[in-house]
Amino acid sequence: MSEMRVLIVDDSSVMRKIVERSLRQAGLEPMVVLEAGSGVEGLQVLSGQTVHLILSDINMPSMDGLEFLRQLRGQNLAEGVPVVMITTESSEEHVKQAILAGAQGYIRKPFTAEQVKERVLPLVAAVEGR
Amino acid sequence: MTLSLRENLHLVTDPRNLDSSVEEVFNMMLGAACRPTELALAEEPETITAVVGFGGLLSGACVFRSGATAALVIAGKLTGMEFSEIDDTVKDAIGEVCNMLAGAWKGGVPDLSANCGLSIPAVITGSNYHIHVQAPEFRLHHVYEFEDTAFEVTIICDGLQ
Repeated sequence: MSEMRVLIVDDSSVMRKIVERSLRQAGLEPMVVLEAGSGVEGLQVLSGQTVHLILSDINMPSMDGLEFLRQLRGQNLAEGVPVVMITTESSEEHVKQAILAGAQGYIRKPFTAEQVKERVLPLVAAVEGR
Repeated sequence: MTLSLRENLHLVTDPRNLDSSVEEVFNMMLGAACRPTELALAEEPETITAVVGFGGLLSGACVFRSGATAALVIAGKLTGMEFSEIDDTVKDAIGEVCNMLAGAWKGGVPDLSANCGLSIPAVITGSNYHIHVQAPEFRLHHVYEFEDTAFEVTIICDGLQ
């Protein structure tokens, strides 16, 4: 794969930049980052672009991360693309809901770059191995 | 069986949970230490307040407040950028800090973690304003020192099941 194309969905532009910085620190280079401020925008991006990895917040206005994930899987957009939820919601119930909706990973905010690396790199390795 | 937080009120109101939540967020996201202080927040012409609401077993809010000086330092540490005024990026950064504080605080109480939702952060800037909650169930309020500045975090509960 020449470059990793990553979609980051979060209503906070600051948080999108922090997630991008953490991915670069984890060694995801070269990488093209696509951004969306809500689940609705995320679906719009995916209807016209190919990505290899998606990271999404849960608490967002207009369409939250879990609904975004359900619609993504329901519409067969980004088939086989791993989705990692990055959120302040940390209960087992939230993790369970995310996994049931089709997420492959879960990172709790606050997080360190090392935690992002641990959760994301195995998923990236699986994508690259296909 | 109906879940009630009242039996675990001592856990919900434990001030150490607030301190450890603040320290965790600042250590992990800003790479910087902060510590509780007895000092009052210095008055500044411009202040910033971020509010994240709680709903569910507990209703109320997590409120972050600081002067512009602390807000610019915190936003700078979080983003790796430099700021000279409270612009939209600083407001976004402070809203996210408050969001993470609220999430870390409720995550510290097992029954709250799964049964209390968080709102999207709201951010207020200006001067001469204050947030009034009528007859709260409890209120935790601490001031923290951070890089020669200070900020305060308040947990206000106005309803508890």
